[in-house]
Amino acid sequence: MITIRIPTPLRPMTGGKSEIEGKGNSIGELIEQLNIAHPGLKDRICDERGEIRRFINIYLNEEDIRFLTGKDTPVKDGDAVSIVPAIAGGSHD
Amino acid sequence: MLSIPTAIWEDMIAHARSLDPNECCGMLAGRADDNDVTKQYRITNILATLHETELARFDQAKLADLQQLSPEERADIAFQMDAHELSQAQKDMRHHGLTLKAFYHSHTFSPARPSNTDIKIAMEFESYRAILNLPQPLHVIISLEKKAHPVILAWRIHDSQATEVSVERR
Ligand SMILES: [Zn+2]
Repeated sequence: MITIRIPTPLRPMTGGKSEIEGKGNSIGELIEQLNIAHPGLKDRICDERGEIRRFINIYLNEEDIRFLTGKDTPVKDGDAVSIVPAIAGGSHD
Repeated sequence: MLSIPTAIWEDMIAHARSLDPNECCGMLAGRADDNDVTKQYRITNILATLHETELARFDQAKLADLQQLSPEERADIAFQMDAHELSQAQKDMRHHGLTLKAFYHSHTFSPARPSNTDIKIAMEFESYRAILNLPQPLHVIISLEKKAHPVILAWRIHDSQATEVSVERR
């Protein structure tokens, strides 16, 4: 099994869980499979063209998958995948 | 405590002014064993390009404010870093033996103090930081509230509290 760490804004879609488990041979397959158990999760991570949204990083262990082979990056049992939104903020509140 | 060279200090102000009234954002890096910033990374604020559904990471109060504005105006009161540029900067830091010292962003209409949104998202980032084995960054804010007199302050955000940290221009 592969451990997937879910960021705070997506936890409503995983029943509040910060970690879930999944299967797949690549990051892309993993996302498809997670979307079956947690419908809508894929849409929050990927845009309409299937690309990872521009404010989200996905790390395989500690490496950004954009520096590996993106959604084709292979994953194996025991890997940890972290979905991490880049820092944001604001003013006026 | 943070020590910022004049060239970077001035460039942060130039960055903030070039995007005013939109907020700018970026990262400051240095060696792990002292307080000196030695490298700056301007990061694109992609907030204006986000779809309404992508704003869900902001809390309800901020979301309500953002939804009343046009996409372009939303960047006046918030920023979202481009995730790819952020990773590239982290990779460059590793390559140069540097570590993340601070995130910076501008407030174009308000003081150089963290907003509730800044504090909430910084706390959210704390939970990822441990996973990714990153050092705790400070948060530097450039205020253009008084356009002719920019103010730069640095903050440590911990346990949902922001504490001012001294910042010098060297
Ligand atoms: Zn702010």
